[in-house]
Amino acid sequence: MAKGIKDKVAIIGMGCSRFGERWDCGPEELILEAFKEALADAKIAREEIEMGWLGLFYQEQSAGKSALPLSLTLRLPNIPVTRVENLCATGTEALRGAVYAVAAGACDIALAMGVEKLKDTGYGGLPERTKGTFDDLWLPNATAPGAFAQLAGAYAAKHHVDMQDLKRAMAHISVKSHANGVLNPKAHLRKEITEDDALNAGMVAYPLGLMDCCGVSDGAACAIVTSVEKARAMGYTEVVTVKAMQLAPSNGFEMSSTGWDGSYLHTTRIAAQRAYAEAGIKDPRKEINLMEVHDCFSVTELVVMEDLGMSAEGGAIKDVMDGVFDRDGAVPCQIDGGLKCFGHPIGATGLRMAYELYLQLLGRAGQRQLPSPSIGLTHNLGGHPFRNVASVSVLGLHSA
Amino acid sequence: MRYGILSYGAYVPSFRLARSIIADAVSWAVPGVKGLAKGERAVANWDEDSITLAVEAGRNCLAGFTQRLDHLQLASTTLPFADRSNSGVVGDALLCPAELTTEDLGGSRRAGSSALVRLGLSASARTTLLLAADCRETKPGSTQEMNYGHGAAGFVFGTGEPIAVVKGAASIHEDLIDQYRATDSDYDYALEERWIREEGYNKLVPRAVHAAAKNAGIELSEIHRFVMPAAAAIAKGVAKILKVDAALFADPLTAQVGDCGAAHPLLMLAQALETAVPGEKILVIGFGQGADAIILETTARLADLQPTHGPGRYLKARRVLDNYTKFLALRNQLDLDFGLRAERDNRTAQSVFYRRRKDITGMVGGRCKSCNTLQYPRAQLCVKCGEIDTQAGESLSGLLGRVKSYTEDWLAYTPLPPYIYGNVEFADGANCMLEFTDFEPGQVKIGNAVRMVFRIKDFDGRRHFRRYFWKPAPIPTAAD
Repeated sequence: MAKGIKDKVAIIGMGCSRFGERWDCGPEELILEAFKEALADAKIAREEIEMGWLGLFYQEQSAGKSALPLSLTLRLPNIPVTRVENLCATGTEALRGAVYAVAAGACDIALAMGVEKLKDTGYGGLPERTKGTFDDLWLPNATAPGAFAQLAGAYAAKHHVDMQDLKRAMAHISVKSHANGVLNPKAHLRKEITEDDALNAGMVAYPLGLMDCCGVSDGAACAIVTSVEKARAMGYTEVVTVKAMQLAPSNGFEMSSTGWDGSYLHTTRIAAQRAYAEAGIKDPRKEINLMEVHDCFSVTELVVMEDLGMSAEGGAIKDVMDGVFDRDGAVPCQIDGGLKCFGHPIGATGLRMAYELYLQLLGRAGQRQLPSPSIGLTHNLGGHPFRNVASVSVLGLHSA
Repeated sequence: MRYGILSYGAYVPSFRLARSIIADAVSWAVPGVKGLAKGERAVANWDEDSITLAVEAGRNCLAGFTQRLDHLQLASTTLPFADRSNSGVVGDALLCPAELTTEDLGGSRRAGSSALVRLGLSASARTTLLLAADCRETKPGSTQEMNYGHGAAGFVFGTGEPIAVVKGAASIHEDLIDQYRATDSDYDYALEERWIREEGYNKLVPRAVHAAAKNAGIELSEIHRFVMPAAAAIAKGVAKILKVDAALFADPLTAQVGDCGAAHPLLMLAQALETAVPGEKILVIGFGQGADAIILETTARLADLQPTHGPGRYLKARRVLDNYTKFLALRNQLDLDFGLRAERDNRTAQSVFYRRRKDITGMVGGRCKSCNTLQYPRAQLCVKCGEIDTQAGESLSGLLGRVKSYTEDWLAYTPLPPYIYGNVEFADGANCMLEFTDFEPGQVKIGNAVRMVFRIKDFDGRRHFRRYFWKPAPIPTAAD
């Protein structure tokens, strides 16, 4: 019987580029910016890396297909490198590949790199893309905000919430993330906003206004992982280990059957339960000290609080307004600004979340450091609520 | 069992543009249009064309009609495809079997009325659905822009229990070019109206009418109603020449719809049938490089189909289009800058379409034989029970849906922002994310009932292709 990934793999180095509209550089420079930081952090030589995983979503519009962008940029010594893509969970998938390779004993040290260069596409939001040759014949040409906006209406209808009350809670989420982003020198958006700014922003897709939407950014983030045994041999006494890495893609239930009411994220619920089981977490709200969730839109963060078991069904609005997820709340969420303000270079996002947890757990988060967290959660949601890939990971401190 | 018209149907798109709005916009340049600025015209939505208009009229023709169709004819001067069976697309959307013979009729505004004459004169055991639709684009500032409308109508001819029988018919051809459109031209070119009236209507129509009456063996004094797509002033002149009461000429729907080209004689006939009584003799006239005339007599069966098949409910369920540039943009007469998202390449993988053509054109989903769950799109494995290869094809196009979630998206490209789409629930477990149409911003609500309509999904301007699919639309209500 498989025992899961808990405490088998340690993260010994992480790096993250500055996120934002990086007109000054391409994907190669972003990769190197993140890599140099991680390599220095891990205190290893580039040649010690035995395998690599590259997460990149929009290949044609930025770095190209395959793992070559990573191998070529870092002039890696022909080690096996694999490119992974799983929508907005891509970065976490790169990390999962590296972590599983180390856990399997296939190598001692592996690299997970995520990168996205979105600002060379010419689009304000995410670029247009084909949905596949059959889906293009019938599925709406939905945008991400339009798909996620529907969560809000369905949530309000299900819980008999006035849309204005829901909008106010969504505004609180955005205000909070902007305040957090100010404290993060690598964040894309570093400007405080008010609740009125959020409520009065131009409509993108009803009921989501501009301030309900995350930044579309360039960036890269990476992790260097090894086995706990190897970390111990390298002299580490306390390391950040992977406690759980779970993935749940849709199978058609949400979109093609009447079982789903559109007000929650089915796959997130499944991935969360599996991750809690793998990590041995019984009461997530009490045990988890901080979260980096996929706040592509304010409403996503709100409903995800229920999907992750942080709030009771229908209770997220109250928890949000009570400040439970603010930086001084019981379970700070998006302490680094989140997708909203740190930014959302798709392939890098999952690794950026792990990066923040890593810094916080090791007490290296500078101005935004939380008081001694020991366990944190990352969550990604790729695709649209009606058809998506959800990942939930748990990272925590471990005595090597 | 007799041969005749077994069913009828019509469709008029819901947008109505007051002609005064056109005049306000263009009369600085063409003050003459002010004289035409009365009433309103019907305007097809951006996702409608002659194929989709015909499909909607065809659905009304076939509502409650159980006889097997043998033949489908589509008459129009604006068929979207010069080479691809337009009537075949309509047949697939109407879920007709592949064995149905299909035929595109065009080349003249009389394409519809001439087909009426031919079907009228050739009693057959075959059952034919004749549809006529026109969606003519017009040059800004032209009298056509004022006078034209968009619409469709259709009739089922065959042997059974007819609502109307054919008493006689006749056609004449004379190459009086009152207006024309070359195949490489976007717009009609029209000649002087007084010439058309005096040399055309006043001389050619009476010849066809008298020939039809002779063919029917009746006197014109026996006709209860004349259906002629022409302005009231023209009808008055023709009535005088025919020595009949001008009040017997049916309303040409000028004030509500406008001239629907090849569809107009059929649309007016459908309107007449909606209000006719049994035993009424109706004479239908088509005009353009000659004239058609067909004389029908209604039967007692007519009441069975009134009033749900004709255009009446569409005349009531109207939406105001109050912006001239919006009208131009909807009909692709104004190239608004919709930005980068409008540049998306909508190339259709035709081999994929061919494999899934019934799923797309007929909205055929699957019903699982194991658990009875209906699903769209159909797949090899049931979404509910996971059984393999258990799904039997079943169309969702006729089902009512219920809105589960929706958005009004101002970021996505659509010719008519906002792009409205959402999750729609159908009977027996089916559920689907779909693009909506014909809703105004703010109109969709969670829980709304919707009906499916066949529309253009995307244009591929680069390859001059358009693809069609079904969209949830409001259920027409008589907003009296």
